[in-house]
Amino acid sequence: MIGERWMIALGAGATRISQEVGGILILTAQVLRALVPPRIDRRELVKNLYKMGNRSVPIVALTAFFAGALMVLQAGPFVKKFGATSLAGYGAGYAVLREIGPILIALMFSGRVGANNTAELATMTVTEQLDGLRSLAIDPVAFLVVPRVLAMMVMLVALTALGDLVALGGAAIVARSMLDIDWSTMYFSMADNLRPADFLLGIYKSVAFGAAIAMSSCYFGIAVRGGAVGVGKAVNAAVVAAAVSIMLLDFFMTYLVGG
Amino acid sequence: MTAYLEFKGVEKAFSGKAVLKGMNLAVTKGEVMFIIGTSGVGKSVTIKHLIGLLRIDAGEIWFDGQRVDKLPERKLAALRKRIGMVFQSSTLFDSMTLAENVALPLRKHQRLGWDASLDQARVRLAQVYMAEYADRYPAELSDGMRKRAAIARTLALEPDVVLFDEPTTGLDPVSARRIDRLIRELADKLGVTAIVVSHDPPSIFGIADRVAFLYRGVVHVVATPAELRASSDPIVQQFIRGQSSGPMETPGF
Repeated sequence: MIGERWMIALGAGATRISQEVGGILILTAQVLRALVPPRIDRRELVKNLYKMGNRSVPIVALTAFFAGALMVLQAGPFVKKFGATSLAGYGAGYAVLREIGPILIALMFSGRVGANNTAELATMTVTEQLDGLRSLAIDPVAFLVVPRVLAMMVMLVALTALGDLVALGGAAIVARSMLDIDWSTMYFSMADNLRPADFLLGIYKSVAFGAAIAMSSCYFGIAVRGGAVGVGKAVNAAVVAAAVSIMLLDFFMTYLVGG
Repeated sequence: MTAYLEFKGVEKAFSGKAVLKGMNLAVTKGEVMFIIGTSGVGKSVTIKHLIGLLRIDAGEIWFDGQRVDKLPERKLAALRKRIGMVFQSSTLFDSMTLAENVALPLRKHQRLGWDASLDQARVRLAQVYMAEYADRYPAELSDGMRKRAAIARTLALEPDVVLFDEPTTGLDPVSARRIDRLIRELADKLGVTAIVVSHDPPSIFGIADRVAFLYRGVVHVVATPAELRASSDPIVQQFIRGQSSGPMETPGF
């Protein structure tokens, strides 16, 4: 009975996804509860801000530079053909600030920081370090999860803002060096046409993406079952969940603000 | 004598498989009580129930006149400050030095500043002869050293009861006897009640005040080490002599 098996598999998949979404929501409620009144370990917060943010700067800058450069490179032949070089900066900036920048940086951040976070928390869970915390009357959510969630959200916003700047620089450099569009044309194309709302939409998205990456990476880390195999599965699940969440959030946020 | 800590008809099953089947045990204040039994019989499970790391399916657990098995997670913090636990795998935090590990509960619960908590942690580590390793990370040390540091971390909050989960397993005989001596000193000098899960005969017969032998999900017998040695029960004798054949059921063999 292929149809029956298909239904069983579908039901099992739906149950698993419901459990995971439910688990993430419960963890989110626990995180919010730990924030009122704030019970944040400042050392853990600073350590995570540095580890997750500062050390992500090179890879984010590299990604952003080429994202901006590629936008101009792709649009180059067309703007030249139609003599619309004054729109090259606007086109590249619009795409980078609203879409490409936040998405690419969030996916890169998820791969580097989110996966690392899941692996670390999952290893701590399977080696009973979380039970060790509980036995010392220390709440693992308040001590471990809250600083990580805050650090990921703050740092993804900061990295997105930095990435936007680098991407616009990358676009200008490629426009100048490969398409002979001078600096001032690119500058005024961006300055005259781009609005603060374009930049802010990307920043709002990065807040949502940061929350999605943080909650999924922490949830799959502390909900892990089994040993090394379980840790691998947890990292995989966290990265997939974050990527899917980023795409869905991006779609709905773009749709809500009217494209 | 009144029980300081008591399990009454405790039941626990995992995925439908019953591990504890109406277990009863009373521990008096200040004693060193060993819980022994074969692997998988539920010894570690038993002590984890005491601090709410696992929840019982039926029965009651009492500590110092208070029923503790029904306490919600947010109310367990007070209990966990009074009942400390040293895990089999030490559970020191990899990302912290030994001093930072021991300082953590002091920072969190005694409101000590960073430097003061580290100073206090070094004193605690010195009590378990680990002062010179205070700035090392757990991964750089042997199992025995990690266990001693874990004991120092648990003792930092000065608990009334300490639960030890196989404290000497995997240690060389000298390190194992040093751990034994530490446990005995805790009870004799500080009046700490110790519950020790073990199947290490030198520990059992060296430092226990009483021994509870867990078998088939219940406490089969509670006795002093001398009474246990003299027991005519063939199951007890098979266990303490470590005989491969006999009346004892050993799942998996």
